[in-house]
Amino acid sequence: MKRSNFLAGTLSGLAVVANTQHVFAQALAQSPLPGLPGAANRCLVLINLQGGNDGLNCVVPHGDAQYYQLRPTIGVSRNDVLSINDKIGFNPTLRSFKAMYDKGMVAVVQSVGYPNPDHSHFRSTEIWQTAAPDKYEHTGWLGRYLDEANLPKDNLFNGVALAQVLPEVMVAGKTDVPAIAQINGYGLISDRNNSASMAYTKLVSDNRLPFSSPYLAHVAEIEDHAQKGSQELPKLIAGYKPAGAYPATPLGRSLALAAQIVGSNIGTRVLYVQHGSFDTHVGQKATQDRLLGEFSDAIKAFYDDLAAHGNDNRVLTMTFSEFGRRIAENASRGTDHGEASPLFLIGGGVKGGIYGAYPDLSQTNMGNLKFDTDFRSVYATVLERWLGRPSAPILQGQFATISALG
Amino acid sequence: MATALTPRTDVAGIYRPAGHLDAAIALAPYKGVWDARLAAHLLRRAGFGSSPDEAAKYGSMSVHAAVDSLIDFPSTDALPAPDDLYDPRTTLMQYLQNGMRPGMADDMTKRKIGQQVRQQERQSIISLQRWWLNRMLVTPAPLQEKMALYFHGHFTSAAIQKGVTPVMVYNQNQLFRNNALGNLRELTWQVSIDPAMMIYLDNARSDPQHPNENYARELMELFTLGVGNYSEQDVRESARAWTGWVLRPRIGTVQFVPFRHDSGSKTFLGQTGNWAGRDIVDIIFKQPASASFFANSLLNFFVYNSPEPQLVEAVANLIRKNDFNLKPVMSTLLRSNVFYSSRAYRALVKSPVEFTIGTYKALGANQVDDSAQRALLQMGQVLFYPPNVAGWPGGANWLTSQTVIARENFLASIVNSPMMDGVDWMQKLPVKAPQAAKELVATVLVGDASEQGVAQLTDYLNGAGTSALGMLSGENYPERIRGAAYLTMAMPAYQLN
Repeated sequence: MKRSNFLAGTLSGLAVVANTQHVFAQALAQSPLPGLPGAANRCLVLINLQGGNDGLNCVVPHGDAQYYQLRPTIGVSRNDVLSINDKIGFNPTLRSFKAMYDKGMVAVVQSVGYPNPDHSHFRSTEIWQTAAPDKYEHTGWLGRYLDEANLPKDNLFNGVALAQVLPEVMVAGKTDVPAIAQINGYGLISDRNNSASMAYTKLVSDNRLPFSSPYLAHVAEIEDHAQKGSQELPKLIAGYKPAGAYPATPLGRSLALAAQIVGSNIGTRVLYVQHGSFDTHVGQKATQDRLLGEFSDAIKAFYDDLAAHGNDNRVLTMTFSEFGRRIAENASRGTDHGEASPLFLIGGGVKGGIYGAYPDLSQTNMGNLKFDTDFRSVYATVLERWLGRPSAPILQGQFATISALG
Repeated sequence: MATALTPRTDVAGIYRPAGHLDAAIALAPYKGVWDARLAAHLLRRAGFGSSPDEAAKYGSMSVHAAVDSLIDFPSTDALPAPDDLYDPRTTLMQYLQNGMRPGMADDMTKRKIGQQVRQQERQSIISLQRWWLNRMLVTPAPLQEKMALYFHGHFTSAAIQKGVTPVMVYNQNQLFRNNALGNLRELTWQVSIDPAMMIYLDNARSDPQHPNENYARELMELFTLGVGNYSEQDVRESARAWTGWVLRPRIGTVQFVPFRHDSGSKTFLGQTGNWAGRDIVDIIFKQPASASFFANSLLNFFVYNSPEPQLVEAVANLIRKNDFNLKPVMSTLLRSNVFYSSRAYRALVKSPVEFTIGTYKALGANQVDDSAQRALLQMGQVLFYPPNVAGWPGGANWLTSQTVIARENFLASIVNSPMMDGVDWMQKLPVKAPQAAKELVATVLVGDASEQGVAQLTDYLNGAGTSALGMLSGENYPERIRGAAYLTMAMPAYQLN
């Protein structure tokens, strides 16, 4: 069994570090897609813009008069937009991010969505995370990647979610992904006492209990991982020093930790980070401006730090949000749940530019933007051209890739 | 197709419906062996666990007497009310008394007022959370609080969002409590015009020109029917029907204002008429899917996750037969074969609230201490702050490395707190390690540990792994008993409800 295997092979920080090169070489050798030098050294950071980020006030169609007609009070003024071309430009709070775009580090994929869009936060978030619009899938697309990718089974950090609760996107069939809100205080108090620590290890692995439960194996596994993982992770990443300061925001702290984990070479391939909430039904401007500004500043600090450590070319960051918002503003200077919206691919390995069809405000789906690029095409691109895995088994279907990577 | 329940030797005297699930047998009254172990199971599910005395007391009753005492619960009017809830108008009044003219405040002052209001609202909610946690711990009617918690996760609204005041949060909480075993249709209607809900899901900001669809959608998707039982058009029509209910900000009174209502004809779930909100609720509850939806939800919360479709349908029929009155439904469920089957036993993951309150109960504490609320935040369940409108996802989702660490550290802090000095039964455990270990497992886990587990505890009590190896003695007793209590609660069974 997986648990006993794990217990049999004691995992020490030193062993992992020593193993890293071997592990990477092995993973590279197993990579089924040729022409991806260094794929095994790459990492994906997924940022969930929770709540439904309003794409139209994020990447503003300032060349379209209809935009200003439909958004008389909350439309971003043409004078304020950070223009990309005569059609679109960034929200003015994305100033640092625009500078990254100008350096060719950002691909804007426009009008991303899926057929028969769902307007519920819950369901649409689930759809984006499970990559299954037509059915209820238990595992997430990155969870399935972790299951499929032949990553070292005894590494507890193949995937790491920087969140209090494990997001559905990281739920896997065979891989436990630790969810870490913050590294301080991450650990068992009882591990400070040798005798209690030893007893804990033995007691949580006790499986000869006088009852059965569908969750028993899960409980035992997570209790075990909680102890092992929290003992190892702080040691493994302790040597990393950030090159500069990060903004004192939740996203800034999360990305600082992400850079530390990536920079410590512990085999982490996918990291999940969240930011929000973008659910701006009422008084949208203040909330969205604050959140986009925080995003812009944190992502800049992140890539500056990565670059200083030579990691900027091996870290791809991708944003997503469960939906964009209704084109027309509502009576409360906000916007209701909509459909298609842009997402960003960020990093040194990205072919910067604008991808996908510009949003068409005249041909709508009952007041919502129609999608042009299926979100699974973006996922397929990331899986095949960044993580070096065939996408069809993970996405349960074949989706065309886009040319923003590789 | 019937889902097979694998027959298994019934190690602990728990009978199950034999072989395949027969829904009629599953819901028939349980007539098997009744003991403290099953009583503890009932008290974990229909309440928040039990003190050592309570499990024994309920175990000595019959199953029916035990369930009756939970269902026909005593009045809880004598329980303490919450501390005075903060009313944001008091802050405004202070500014007006100090010379600020209504409507003439400058931006600076407005910001300052806003900050003060938010700060005091937060303090007030923290105090309200503590009040509810203590109520769960000491109430003579645990099922009433358990139902309130169930409804809080089902009909979710969050505090301090877009103008929800502490009074509104409390009133909604009381609504759930007062309808604990009431009628689901009536509660759904009351929730629909509840101020906190009207703000949380935006019906308070809807008008006939721009009907807001948020509540209309979640009412069907998450509260009553589930995805697939309505169309996008039904959402739009329902949103129109809900217009007209107006909430006075801060004051929180709700009234129907005819000229704010879209009085045109609407076609909703196939029925055409000049529908208003109440009609929408009534039409929804005429859909067969509504009873199935609640059946599934109740089974997942009280019995086990992913219940068999035929069990869901049997409970749905029970709900229909009782016209959505919960009392007879819960009464049947809590005394049913399936509820005491080994399929249901320890088959749910404890929610953080169940985990913390259960711990205080097991230790015989009569109030929660300062560690509870911080721990609940780290475990992922803050009362009045559900993560989203779908409530807490529950099940395996409660357990991540991080939340398990939070759970264990809560236990570690509580066994080392001064509160433990007052835990009588722990002071009186035998000074012989094997007996002490056995009693700990019996008291905290109603025996749900293996012999090997008891042996490990015994070793720990005898100083295994310490530099000063020595048998359990009067000298090391307090420290080692505390450690052993922690380890007992850290065993896998303790995470399961």
